[in-house]
Amino acid sequence: MRASEEQLRGLMIAGLDGNADDHAALLRLLVPMLRGFYRRRASGDGDDIEDLVQDTLIAVHTRRSTYDRDRPFTAWLFAIARYKMIDHFRRNRRTQPIEGLEDILIAEGFEDASSARMDVDDLLDTLPPKQARMIRATRIEGLSVAEAANTHGVGESDVKISVHRGLKTLMARIQGGRA
Amino acid sequence: MNTDDLIATLASDVPPVKRSAVGRRLVLGIAAGAAVSASYVLLMWGARPDLAVAMHGFYFWMKWAYTISLAFGALALTAQLARPETHRLRWLWLLAIPVLLLASVGVFELLHTPQTQWLAMWLGQSWKQCPWRVLSLAMPIFIGLLWSFRRLAPTRLRLAGAAAGLAAGAFAATVYCLHCPEASAIFVLTWYSLGILLAASFGALVGPRLLRW
Repeated sequence: MRASEEQLRGLMIAGLDGNADDHAALLRLLVPMLRGFYRRRASGDGDDIEDLVQDTLIAVHTRRSTYDRDRPFTAWLFAIARYKMIDHFRRNRRTQPIEGLEDILIAEGFEDASSARMDVDDLLDTLPPKQARMIRATRIEGLSVAEAANTHGVGESDVKISVHRGLKTLMARIQGGRA
Repeated sequence: MNTDDLIATLASDVPPVKRSAVGRRLVLGIAAGAAVSASYVLLMWGARPDLAVAMHGFYFWMKWAYTISLAFGALALTAQLARPETHRLRWLWLLAIPVLLLASVGVFELLHTPQTQWLAMWLGQSWKQCPWRVLSLAMPIFIGLLWSFRRLAPTRLRLAGAAAGLAAGAFAATVYCLHCPEASAIFVLTWYSLGILLAASFGALVGPRLLRW
């Protein structure tokens, strides 16, 4: 079962207070989450994914002072994971032969995605926080409904309803804006 | 290395982290850089001879109020961009306040000065050197900030570079006030700001390369 936001955040804060056991427990819990995150997004082989997971664990550890105790932990974690993935694609692009075109396109897509994210943030901010959070979790961070429900400590049907209502409102807003 | 071993290694070094760690690290980098810049100013160019007198006057404090408020505004931006999940910048508009205040002092000044002296007032004695001096004094501070960023996690590198450059430039201008005897608002508004903007552009230029992690 996937760890919840509260659990992860608690471990992270204990780690920041100097508790090494909690910090180790946190890192262990992150491994399956990160594997899932990268597997869904990167088409690379298992080694690539394990490299990314390890890179991200190291970053979470060495840059843990940048976690703000008052903000959601998973948002911080996935921001680092996403950055590491973009960086990974950029770094490999240079030495890649033209056969790697598909990967290159994926990397470019991520760059577009990061600028599009700002627009998305503006839109999501107009929604009730819960709907925005659920859309972010399922549609942007790429969690499954079950994972999102677990992470945020709500029921699966609650996640589905929030996402559905939120998207409907956004759709109406965007189409209204165009008309 | 297998992932379990990696975790064991990482977990063997878990020092406590203070809530204010990001701010402290940035301030430490800036302070170290500013100390180098200040020593350079005092040793190579010397403090302005009338520093003690000037510190009792309006213009010295007008200049410091301008550069210091820009510096802390830029520091606040840098601190936000040092965290990975920053989507939207807060307090960006605050940077406009010192600029607008100084501009109004400038307008007031121009209104009370004969038009024939406007150009002299604008160019002062040192308009050619001023922006370049501010830019060069910003370098040690920028390097200090690069050191700070080694433990931080910016994800928007160009923006983070620009903010760090802006902070370095504004702190450098603050240091440069120890030497520079110019005393007109439009001089400071133009040439100091130009130096600070050069530093910010430099930061934006090198940010993606130097801030990677």
